[in-house]
Amino acid sequence: MSDPAATPAQGIWGRLPEWARPLNEERQGLGSRRLAETTILILIGVFLAVATVNDVVLQTHVNHRLSADLLTWRTLTGHDYINLDTEQDIKTHTTRDTVCGNVSPGAPGARAQLCLAMTGPVVSGMRTVSGGYYLSPYHPDLYANRYGCFGLPAQEGLCGRTSAPSGSPLDPPLPTGRP
Amino acid sequence: MSGALATSVERREGTLATSAERRWVALAGALTVVLLAATLEIVLDAAVGHSPLIPKSPSIAKWMSGVGERLGYRVFLIALLAYTGAFAGILLLARRLSVRWAIALVAALQLIVFVGPILISTDVFSYIAYARMGVEHGVNPYLHGPIAISADPVYRYVGKDWIKVATAYGPLYTLLSYPLAPLGVAGALWGMKLEALLASAGTLALTWRCARMRGLDPKLALLVVGVNPLWVIYGLGGAHNDLIMTLLLMGAVALTLSAERGSRNEIYAGAAVLGATLVKATGIVLLPFILLSRRRIAPLIGVAVAGVAFALIAYAVFGIHGVDIVSALNRDSAFVSSDAFPTEIAHLFGKPGVFPIDHDLLEAMLLLIVLHLLWRTWRGYDWVAASGWTLLAVVVASTWLLAWYTLWALPLAAISRDRRLLYATFAVQGLFIVHQLAPLLAPVS
Repeated sequence: MSDPAATPAQGIWGRLPEWARPLNEERQGLGSRRLAETTILILIGVFLAVATVNDVVLQTHVNHRLSADLLTWRTLTGHDYINLDTEQDIKTHTTRDTVCGNVSPGAPGARAQLCLAMTGPVVSGMRTVSGGYYLSPYHPDLYANRYGCFGLPAQEGLCGRTSAPSGSPLDPPLPTGRP
Repeated sequence: MSGALATSVERREGTLATSAERRWVALAGALTVVLLAATLEIVLDAAVGHSPLIPKSPSIAKWMSGVGERLGYRVFLIALLAYTGAFAGILLLARRLSVRWAIALVAALQLIVFVGPILISTDVFSYIAYARMGVEHGVNPYLHGPIAISADPVYRYVGKDWIKVATAYGPLYTLLSYPLAPLGVAGALWGMKLEALLASAGTLALTWRCARMRGLDPKLALLVVGVNPLWVIYGLGGAHNDLIMTLLLMGAVALTLSAERGSRNEIYAGAAVLGATLVKATGIVLLPFILLSRRRIAPLIGVAVAGVAFALIAYAVFGIHGVDIVSALNRDSAFVSSDAFPTEIAHLFGKPGVFPIDHDLLEAMLLLIVLHLLWRTWRGYDWVAASGWTLLAVVVASTWLLAWYTLWALPLAAISRDRRLLYATFAVQGLFIVHQLAPLLAPVS
């Protein structure tokens, strides 16, 4: 006796070969296909879970590094500012970060900015300062706006201005290395 | 003698059953308290004002702001985890909950979020900006981004990534938002929140109805959607228009399920699918599965009639760009977000992110999955489940994933005959939540 639920639809579709006819409900006894589908779904789920956990671990490491960057900037400058800009190396994906903050109290970006390049591993919650540069107030961190390069940024020629713009503070190089 | 013994045993069993029942009720009560407390914590803290999680907004919930503290990642993620755990517990206990309890819980959660500020996303301000561009400034939102109205009071609230981006939403949604534009930013914000609340309530009612029609437990289906953390906190909390799309999709499902062969409901179902598509283009996913399952032309007639009517209206109001949904889809499919699964997979293999070739591969994989599901539907597989799988596959393969995208498949999963879809949807949502946890494990300060 045939399964009434799985009876193929009649009419024009009846001319199709049996395997291609539309059904109102799936035929019984397709356990092996269901098992194969479920196995594939579980494998995809495990794969996505591994990718997700891996990403969380990577992000955790990045956060750990950024915390060290901020602490290093605050320690070296002696300014305990909350609003600091951090920029990661998204071009070559190294662990080099740049942290920028005001040289004197004020709204974020409203004063001249001191940007420090941080490299190397996190040791005792700090990173190594390998150089830096300055930016005028309200100017984005672009080649044309940078001045007073010292350390690694000076060697790499990252400053587009040869001197401080009028009204901007002097550009004393800070000590590089670990604070 | 034996009769007395039997009575004694029955009494003892009755007492044990009552005692066990009380324990279940107490546990359900505790889980309900966790759900309400976690939601209140998020809403009250959010009411304090702008934070990394709460966008700048007109102060529409200032009366709530005296209790909490500014919402940070730590508190939010702990509340979200507690909520998610309690949600899982409530689903396990669903059979023991009364219908009244379930409805009261869902209503309370929705109302708490409704009266609070906008959570997590700036999207609602883009919706208002597009509406004000068209109504107040005579600027076509399909041609220009909100930057074209930079003097408008809503402009300062629009997310900075979107100020130059023209709307990607369908013309039906844009037209729905137009009446709210003259209400001012705060008035329009309440209007958007009300639209989202009504869309959520409508989707829940239709989910209930569809579950009953399919012989499934409607209470469980209601809880799956109405208590879902991403539905409540992200979807409703951000007043996202995805809820309007799910309302129209579930309308199409309910009409199809209730349609006798040859009845007008089949035509209306087609029109509802088109309506969903004209809110968000992904709504079109339902149509081929309805057509293959019904094997009738009526839904297509509904799509055609409604399509012509909407195309004329959209053309009259927005010009040719209001009708060109395909180019908006092409533009958005190129976006990349850090939460997307393809980005995570790229990181797993040491790549910095997704490349154009990856987009092509993902589209090819998605096409294979859809073809497989279409064939399965032709051969009798549950078309509701097939539609849900397709929406879920779109979400997993998309390089631009946001929390509220995981809601597209949820109501379909709740009424699907294939329970694997529900588990898979939960798994995707669970992984999304796990991916948010880095600031809890390593806060940046």
